[in-house]
Amino acid sequence: MPDLPEHLKKPFVNMLLAAADDKLFLGHRNSEWTGLGPILEEDIAFSSLAQDDMAHASALYELAGSIDGRTPDELAFGRTAEQYRCAAIVEVPDEFDWATAIARRFFCNHFDLLRLTRFSQSAYKPLSDLARRLVAEQQVHVTHVDDWVIRLGTGTPESHKRMQQAMDAIGPLAPELFEPLDDLKPLVDAGLYPGSDFTMYDEWTATVEHVLGQAHLTVQMEVGSPDDRGGRRGVHTQYLAPMLDEMCEVYRLEPKAAW
Amino acid sequence: MSGSANVGVHVDHESKEDPALLAEFQRKIDAGELIEVDDWMPAAYRKGMLMMAEHHANSEIVGALPEGEWITRAPSLRRKLALTAKVQDEVGHGQMLYRVSQDLGKSRDAMLRDLITGKTKYHNCFNYPAPQWADIAMIQWLIDGAAIMNQKTLADGAYGPYVRTMRRINMEEAFHFKSGEDMVLTLMSGTKRQRDMAQEAFDRWWGPSLMFFGPPDKPNARQLPPMRWRMKTVTNDDLRQRFVDRFIPAALDLGLKIHVVTKDEHGFVTSKKPDDKIALNKDTGHWEFTSPDWDEFFRVIRGNGPCNAKRLALRRLSYEQGRWVRQAILNGSGSLPPAA
Repeated sequence: MPDLPEHLKKPFVNMLLAAADDKLFLGHRNSEWTGLGPILEEDIAFSSLAQDDMAHASALYELAGSIDGRTPDELAFGRTAEQYRCAAIVEVPDEFDWATAIARRFFCNHFDLLRLTRFSQSAYKPLSDLARRLVAEQQVHVTHVDDWVIRLGTGTPESHKRMQQAMDAIGPLAPELFEPLDDLKPLVDAGLYPGSDFTMYDEWTATVEHVLGQAHLTVQMEVGSPDDRGGRRGVHTQYLAPMLDEMCEVYRLEPKAAW
Repeated sequence: MSGSANVGVHVDHESKEDPALLAEFQRKIDAGELIEVDDWMPAAYRKGMLMMAEHHANSEIVGALPEGEWITRAPSLRRKLALTAKVQDEVGHGQMLYRVSQDLGKSRDAMLRDLITGKTKYHNCFNYPAPQWADIAMIQWLIDGAAIMNQKTLADGAYGPYVRTMRRINMEEAFHFKSGEDMVLTLMSGTKRQRDMAQEAFDRWWGPSLMFFGPPDKPNARQLPPMRWRMKTVTNDDLRQRFVDRFIPAALDLGLKIHVVTKDEHGFVTSKKPDDKIALNKDTGHWEFTSPDWDEFFRVIRGNGPCNAKRLALRRLSYEQGRWVRQAILNGSGSLPPAA
């Protein structure tokens, strides 16, 4: 394993955890649809996407664990809520509403494509090697979700109305994906996370608005999260703790046991 | 995960059919040839195959529900991924089997509506609860194990599209069974709490596993249309015996105890005692066992099981929640601006 400068290990692991936590809970929330999707063929596709997200999370946890010594399962299941670094948009429930599920994926998938692309250019080779593989899969996620947003936005008056409502509800949470992580600048300067958040934000906004234009949908986004919340700093919505309780229900019975 | 062994295929007598066509049809069946969707077939055969494939498809998508409940609670990343993929497979089997059924003349929407209104049925074993993680292990080991045994014989049937679907499904079911076996082994090699969980789940699922193959056969089962037309190729009782011959020694090897149990209306075990009939009969080479409670079987199949209402309610919710999506995708303009 190549050496990381000692003082960059903690922020680097923190950055990997933010990406892995976003993926884990997006996959977890979407896996709730397995067996209950609106069309059988889409049920199957959506489940594959959820599996990709959870598998991406697993690979990122493994990489983080190779630096700080924890196992992927300890990182996924063994932390307290304030130790997670995910954004609010992956925490909120979709209330079994397909429009909400699609709107959430839309913002997250575009963000993840850009984040993974930056990872794929990292000076830390284990990360760039992994991310190049994940980017290819992430591109499929983006194609899939863009198609859904456009088809539902332009489908029937009802589907348009429901998609717009979902965009109104989920859109304001989306910019929180960009909440700055602690000590990100040294990682950028060292080439471990090359590029700039400002450029990435502009690119993300332009892409998202382009697709929404095709879908005849609009979104209100404001940069900057409320002072009382910030997933990247471990301050979460009220939805994370109960989701963790559910996810860890069996794991916590015997945390040291093999399952 | 499911099979259709206990679907009641009651087909009309074929006397109204052209005798020459009927004789040729029977000749093809007896010669081991496959019947294809465009081939001539007796109306009763078409109806029976549709019932069978539709029941099987229903069972796959209802069968996704008890395990689906545990995806969000799976105790490791590996199990979480495997369970999501497994439940996804079942939905995929449902999709393939609905396609087989659609080709026999019934629309998918009609089938989904008949399922949620209770007009058609699904496999009985999914009306039982899965209250612990260990139940998922037992479903994948026992129920998927039973399904493989049944479906291997269905793959020897005569209706081409169904036979090919069975072959493909069986390959995936083999993975499910391996996954279940691995989960049971892990629990039985674990802590006392894990072993107790496994035993309790085994006690809940042993009875439904024995019932999986359907009620005892009628004496003339081999002469009735389902077997004469090779819609099924082995009797319920023979399949059940194959199952116990494989699983009784496997369960005992793992340290599981086989009990005769009584259950409350929620499907939870209220009392149990060792099944003292369990023994290998040296003369026949077969294992002996206590038959399941067939009164319970018929009670559950008539809709009065522990989870019938819950399973159907969730399928109904899924159907209704998805209606606007299907309208937009299947009937929507898709490329035009929405109405103002």
